[in-house]
Amino acid sequence: MSRQTKHRRRAKQSAAAPRRHRLQLPPAITTADQQKVDVTSMSPAMVDRLFWRAGFGPTAADRAAWTGKPVTDAVAWLLSTPAGITGTPGTRDGKPLDPTVDDTDLVLGWVDRMVRSTNPFVERMGFFWHRHFANSRESVSPPQLLVKQNALFRKYSDLAATPTASFKDLAYEVTVDPSMLRFLTGEYNVKGAPNENYARELMELFGLGVTDAAGARNYSEEDVKQLAKSLSGWQIDDKNPDAVVSYFTPDRWYSGPKIVFGKFGNYKQNEAIDLVLAHPNHAPYFVSKLWGEFITTPPDAATLTKLTGIYTSQGLKLKPLLEQILADPALYASLDEPNLIKPPVVYVVGAMRTLAALVTDSTATDHLDAMGQLPYFPPTVAGWEGGLSWLNTNTALARFSFVATLVSRMTIDDVIGESPAAAYDRAYAAVGQPWLAPATQTAIRDYSGRAGSSNSKLRKERQLMLRALMLAGPDGQVM
Amino acid sequence: MSDSTTPTPMNGPEPSDMQALRCADCARSDSLVTDLAPTSALPIPVEAMMGFPDGVPHAQRTARGLDRRTFLRNGLAGVASVYSATQLDWGSVWEAAMAEAAEPMQKSLVCIFLNGGNDGLNNIVPVAGPEYASYQSQRTNIARIIGASTGTQVGTTVMPGTGGSLAFANPLVSGAANNGDTRGLDTLYGDGLGGLGSDLAIFPAADYTPANRSHFESRDYWFAGALQKLQTGWLGRWLDTYGSTANPLQAVSLDSSLSKQIRSSKAPVCAIESLNGARFDVPTVTTADANAEVGKLAAVAAAQAGNEHLGRSRDIYGLTVDVSNRLGGLKGGTPVAGYPANTDLTRKLQLAATLLGAGLGTRIVTVDWGSFDTHGGQIAAQDPQLSVLSRGLAAFKADLAARGIEDKVVTMVFSEFGRRIGSNDSGGTDHGAGGMMLVSGSAVRGGLAGEHPGVKVSDDGDLVVKTDFRSVYQSLISEWLGGDPAAILPGGAFAPIHRYDGGTALMK
Repeated sequence: MSRQTKHRRRAKQSAAAPRRHRLQLPPAITTADQQKVDVTSMSPAMVDRLFWRAGFGPTAADRAAWTGKPVTDAVAWLLSTPAGITGTPGTRDGKPLDPTVDDTDLVLGWVDRMVRSTNPFVERMGFFWHRHFANSRESVSPPQLLVKQNALFRKYSDLAATPTASFKDLAYEVTVDPSMLRFLTGEYNVKGAPNENYARELMELFGLGVTDAAGARNYSEEDVKQLAKSLSGWQIDDKNPDAVVSYFTPDRWYSGPKIVFGKFGNYKQNEAIDLVLAHPNHAPYFVSKLWGEFITTPPDAATLTKLTGIYTSQGLKLKPLLEQILADPALYASLDEPNLIKPPVVYVVGAMRTLAALVTDSTATDHLDAMGQLPYFPPTVAGWEGGLSWLNTNTALARFSFVATLVSRMTIDDVIGESPAAAYDRAYAAVGQPWLAPATQTAIRDYSGRAGSSNSKLRKERQLMLRALMLAGPDGQVM
Repeated sequence: MSDSTTPTPMNGPEPSDMQALRCADCARSDSLVTDLAPTSALPIPVEAMMGFPDGVPHAQRTARGLDRRTFLRNGLAGVASVYSATQLDWGSVWEAAMAEAAEPMQKSLVCIFLNGGNDGLNNIVPVAGPEYASYQSQRTNIARIIGASTGTQVGTTVMPGTGGSLAFANPLVSGAANNGDTRGLDTLYGDGLGGLGSDLAIFPAADYTPANRSHFESRDYWFAGALQKLQTGWLGRWLDTYGSTANPLQAVSLDSSLSKQIRSSKAPVCAIESLNGARFDVPTVTTADANAEVGKLAAVAAAQAGNEHLGRSRDIYGLTVDVSNRLGGLKGGTPVAGYPANTDLTRKLQLAATLLGAGLGTRIVTVDWGSFDTHGGQIAAQDPQLSVLSRGLAAFKADLAARGIEDKVVTMVFSEFGRRIGSNDSGGTDHGAGGMMLVSGSAVRGGLAGEHPGVKVSDDGDLVVKTDFRSVYQSLISEWLGGDPAAILPGGAFAPIHRYDGGTALMK
């Protein structure tokens, strides 16, 4: 696998990593936008929006099933349908994928699962957790640790299986997850020599943020030290890589009084986590981040207050919060002109699902790397910067190239005498009728009219071009 | 990286593939031209290569305006491998490059190395009576004929100003019957009198004595500017003395590694293999221009106010089309016509012109090109390359003129040695001495700038060297780049060049 994107940092450097706070955003949605949204009866555009933001794009079946239905019904389906997988397992150059032997297969294995998932929300949410608690294969070995962590994230995404899943339970588990203990060096956090790496990130990135909305610091350096002592004592048993476990050694734990956020006690790790999650900035921090996963504009003050109230009053459970966010009219803003750049993973998996392409080689991983988002290889512990930074001249070429490659593998019937309009319509149906601005449609129809069609080669190339332009052009990058 | 996002080398149909014809000892020669590991990599932002938008004040063309965020936003035009004695921090490199960009362009030199030992005797041919007969008798199977080419033999065109004694081989000459273009070495050479429009100086037998017939040894001498191996190149030493201490773009090898010509002891220099000229492309489609069609989609009406993401997408797609058109292989339309299509030399000369025109303080560019080790089948192997060289040099000059910098650029062409006078039984020639050297540019005093020794059978069967190559280097330093040649070239001073008209100046 290519390792061209060399700005990945190792965990030990993470303290110096630039912190990216994701809410870099345009003005709040307008009243006019909100008025277009009828949450009691979804338009096709609303179905498309929900399935892009909470999955990997709509299928024709999704549109048929949910058009005209209330938003809450579709959201309930996403949040209560078990994880499932369908179709032929992916391969690489004719061989089954072997994720614990080959890193390309590790990544392809997850892409394959996303492509074939029957409830795409589960993998989409799992990928959110991977970006929130970002661990990189660059400094996590053996790879089985990441496979195990991936299963942990899925447990907190498959809300049919775990409807009462809470951020608190996830925080408990991920804190002593072997991959996390290795990536943020928690395994070296021992009494007498506390390692602050995880303690710092637990507050700075995972739970609180550095400052609150008013700019006041959420914690002190002393809090980091004291929290680190509370989290000490954990190690990894990886003698059998396929059955890695973490374990607590009381002798390695700093037993003694600690003061965190001014509160005194002889804390162990879960008590320390409780303190962090009880901090007044935890709820607004996490709720805003989760909201930003799905919605372009930040929540207004009233919405944030409402959401944090639901989240904290229900014990930091995920499902009630997600029900609110996914049904919020703000998610359906600017329906006539999608306004969020697809992250590379969403773009790639979405195109594969739309074109019924399976994983058969490393095309997906090669292009994901070139697009700047190779799963299991986040550039820093803060994950990927994302947002507008997804697109530059190199990543635009990679995005177009990926879809053009998929399109060029399609079986295309030759229709002799097909008119430019008919050629356009056939191509549009073949790529799943994606959103295209009216002016873009006009430009592509203009191409169809100019393209030669006097022989089978010309007709085939017209179809390839039409499909690539519809799916991989500038309009295809937003959702 | 996917194939289509890596820079696309235009390694289309090269004029020849000489591998099968090489002597066994020559097979490893390419890798020895360069052998130094880079110290760091320098990203080159798109803005820098595009020369910055008009109206950006020089004061703002600084590293501060080209931070990492800018790279993330607009992408990279390419990456330079930096070679220098000390690590440079990225900011200071850009400060230096941008500071130089703010100055008027300085005189610069492009060095084209014809790899393998070009046979100059079949480039510039003695065509006067007894000389021609001697030439013909020693090269029975590869000799040129006088005048127009025939079906079986390549002809010659007399060089003005040589009294009818010398002629260009026809592949080097313009015209539909020759290399298929309206420009070539003959149009650069003009009337050969060294005045306006006579811009090509020719040295028919430049080399050193005694001949060392090893590719490696001989190359090292030419690169070092000395008849011994040195740790630095002649231009590297010039940079150490007269160049920038902070701008690696001052000297660029258009290759994956550094030419020994610009190897320095402290001045930073770099190698750039290619700029990101990749285009939007749909595999297998050959009858439509995806790049142009994507450009039309990027140019549709602006996104709604507040929709930064769609606006961003259209902007970046448009920028990508623009960059690929400006920097790329120019498949969609070459701004300056006449470059030979699909050759590595074309790609490198276009890259050189782009770099020089970007105003980044580039003084030296090195190009390593060709397969001139023609031990067998020489005519079929060499002539297409001569045609590419001839047309390429003329197109390069026109390209530079279109960028308004032609009077600031001089191009030198050389090879590590000439070849034997007599041809071998394989229709080729073996390692010899006394090769052709060219210096081109409107600042150059065109004409025959060195003597032709004739082809009398001398002791070794080599051309007698009439121009020490270090004399040409000496002139390039003293008359063009500036500086004291004695401080750069060991063993000097060397005899001045000797033009056919008695002059000793290389430049007008």
